[in-house]
Amino acid sequence: MSPVVVTQAMNAVYEVTTLVVIVLGLAIVFGALDVMNLAHGEFIAIGAYTAFVCQSLGWPYVTAVPVALAVSALLGLVVERALIRPLYRRPFDTMLATWGLSLLLRKAIELVYGGGYKSLVVPVSGSISILGEPFPAYRVLLIALCATGVAALLVWYRRSPTGARLKAMVGNPDLAQAVGIRTGQLARNTFVAGTCVAGLAGVMVAPLTPVQPYMGLDYILKAFFVLVVGGLGSALGLVSGAGLIGGVESAVSAIADRTWGYSTVLAIAIVFLWLRPRGIFARS
Amino acid sequence: MTADTRLTRRQLLTTAAAAGLAVTPAFVRSARAAGEFKIGMFYAIAGPAAGLFGPTQKACAELAVDEINAKGGILGRKITLHFANGDGPVAEATKSAVRLMLEEKVDFFLGSHNSAVREALVGTIKAKVPYVYTPIYEGGECGANTYVLADTPQQQMETALPWIAKKTGYKTVYFIGNDYVWPQITNKHAKRIIESGGGKVIGEEYVPLGAPNKFEEAVTRIKAAKPDFVLITLVGADNVNFNRTFAGFGLDKEITRLSSLLEENTLAGIGAESSKGLYGCMSYYANIDTPENRAFKAAYKAKYGDKAPVLSLLGADCYAGVKFVEAVATKAKGTQAAKVKAAANGLTFDTPTGRMTMHHRHVDKNMFLAECQGTEFRVVETFKNVKSGQTCA
Repeated sequence: MSPVVVTQAMNAVYEVTTLVVIVLGLAIVFGALDVMNLAHGEFIAIGAYTAFVCQSLGWPYVTAVPVALAVSALLGLVVERALIRPLYRRPFDTMLATWGLSLLLRKAIELVYGGGYKSLVVPVSGSISILGEPFPAYRVLLIALCATGVAALLVWYRRSPTGARLKAMVGNPDLAQAVGIRTGQLARNTFVAGTCVAGLAGVMVAPLTPVQPYMGLDYILKAFFVLVVGGLGSALGLVSGAGLIGGVESAVSAIADRTWGYSTVLAIAIVFLWLRPRGIFARS
Repeated sequence: MTADTRLTRRQLLTTAAAAGLAVTPAFVRSARAAGEFKIGMFYAIAGPAAGLFGPTQKACAELAVDEINAKGGILGRKITLHFANGDGPVAEATKSAVRLMLEEKVDFFLGSHNSAVREALVGTIKAKVPYVYTPIYEGGECGANTYVLADTPQQQMETALPWIAKKTGYKTVYFIGNDYVWPQITNKHAKRIIESGGGKVIGEEYVPLGAPNKFEEAVTRIKAAKPDFVLITLVGADNVNFNRTFAGFGLDKEITRLSSLLEENTLAGIGAESSKGLYGCMSYYANIDTPENRAFKAAYKAKYGDKAPVLSLLGADCYAGVKFVEAVATKAKGTQAAKVKAAANGLTFDTPTGRMTMHHRHVDKNMFLAECQGTEFRVVETFKNVKSGQTCA
């Protein structure tokens, strides 16, 4: 294979695997709770800023992982209690409320860190040879971590008792409560898990992108496309949606250019909303 | 008795009306003559560039106003700034312009925003009020009663490209930019200069402006094309993203880069490990070492302290814009269009980048070629009084 094809294929793999993790938090919260968290991108941004703070304190980059988890969990708890819980089963109201939250968080970040770009040092420098072609080592590491993490989460969801309770709650919240599942607690933990994954996604992308208060907007839009195409509320939908959106965008961008790549993604999203509004794998 | 009363009343009414008629115009006249000199300023208050450039645009303009007012203002009138958002939808900007003209009755407009907003403002103001446009742009604005202080593609490219050609001996060049008028026209000039120097453009691509772009595919293409030199006309986050990806794939070690809009904030985002072999060429960098800039920075620091917004071309331009208004209105003894136009021709005024001279309603100015060292600019060459290359009547 020609070197360009190898590298462009790796670019597509990188795009898809990282996209799954970027969307994961949003997919979890929507899939389990029917809450469309429009502040998802801001939780990613907060994860990225946490990584920035850890790095500017001179700590090793891995320390950003537990710190971002703690920050996202704390923030997730507060938001769930104050904003999400009073609005369960009112999807439109939660959208409006989380949209407001996203504005608030963006401005809060800007107030604390200013509007300028922050840059982080890439924690793993150099490159790794893939089929004889060098590919940036940090991106290779991210591909491996994202793939393993998502696979582990899927297995856990299928096999664990908590996974079973979750499915019960999603299927019929009242019945789940009647058989003794603490749905309130479970919902809270699910929301916090969603914000934690978003925070981790932020830590992951921070060294590769300009870290700035509005960075969340770049992610939320694509995350929606993935969910529209894949189907809301199923793990398979998430993976296939990310594969289609990320894969097509990357492939078209490699063959033609970014303008075509972006237009194709928009066209796919429109076609799906029009002809198959429930996505490829919708929850029945 | 009754007749007398009626007469008195009538007299009273006419007297009052006459007094009113007499007083009102006098009051208005005095307000216009000896009142404030009002500048309507468009800058990034809310929008994509608001976080990055807004604070320094405002801070620099206010600094210039303070300095001029401390010396008595323009023609004895204190300057006041009246702000409007230039970073939102075009329709919002034109509405603000109408309001500033009708309600505030501004004497001058100053704008630091993109070209789409500028074109709309020129069409709305209709030359009724003089308008000075300050930020880096593609050239060609010859609207009546409109004056431009911006760096033009000629000023950037005719200085930087031959210099880098001499240093690196590049033969093959790749262009990457955002898909709108400024990158396209800059590249047109660059192509002419590169080809006349014996070089060849082997790739030219544009990415959408305002989309969440990633650059892995483009960088892979550039890697395969193996150019000696890459000319970047991306702005803001795209510029940061591209350069970080470029260095991430290890291309910074072999390929020289020149970025057309590379100011202090963008370089901070690109970061020290991704800025090797990266150049910029503009009329201002915060660390240019000239007496004018030292004085400007000292005043900026004295007014705003350590919390001052990061200085960059976009702010220094606004400072220069207010200085231009002072110089041209003083020379023209007012803001009457024909007089301002006559006064502007050959006008010189001092700015942080040095003395500017206006010809063809654009300015000849000093240009600085800077090489990035970590997250700092190091000026490697100064070009004195570079002509704008514009030909407005």
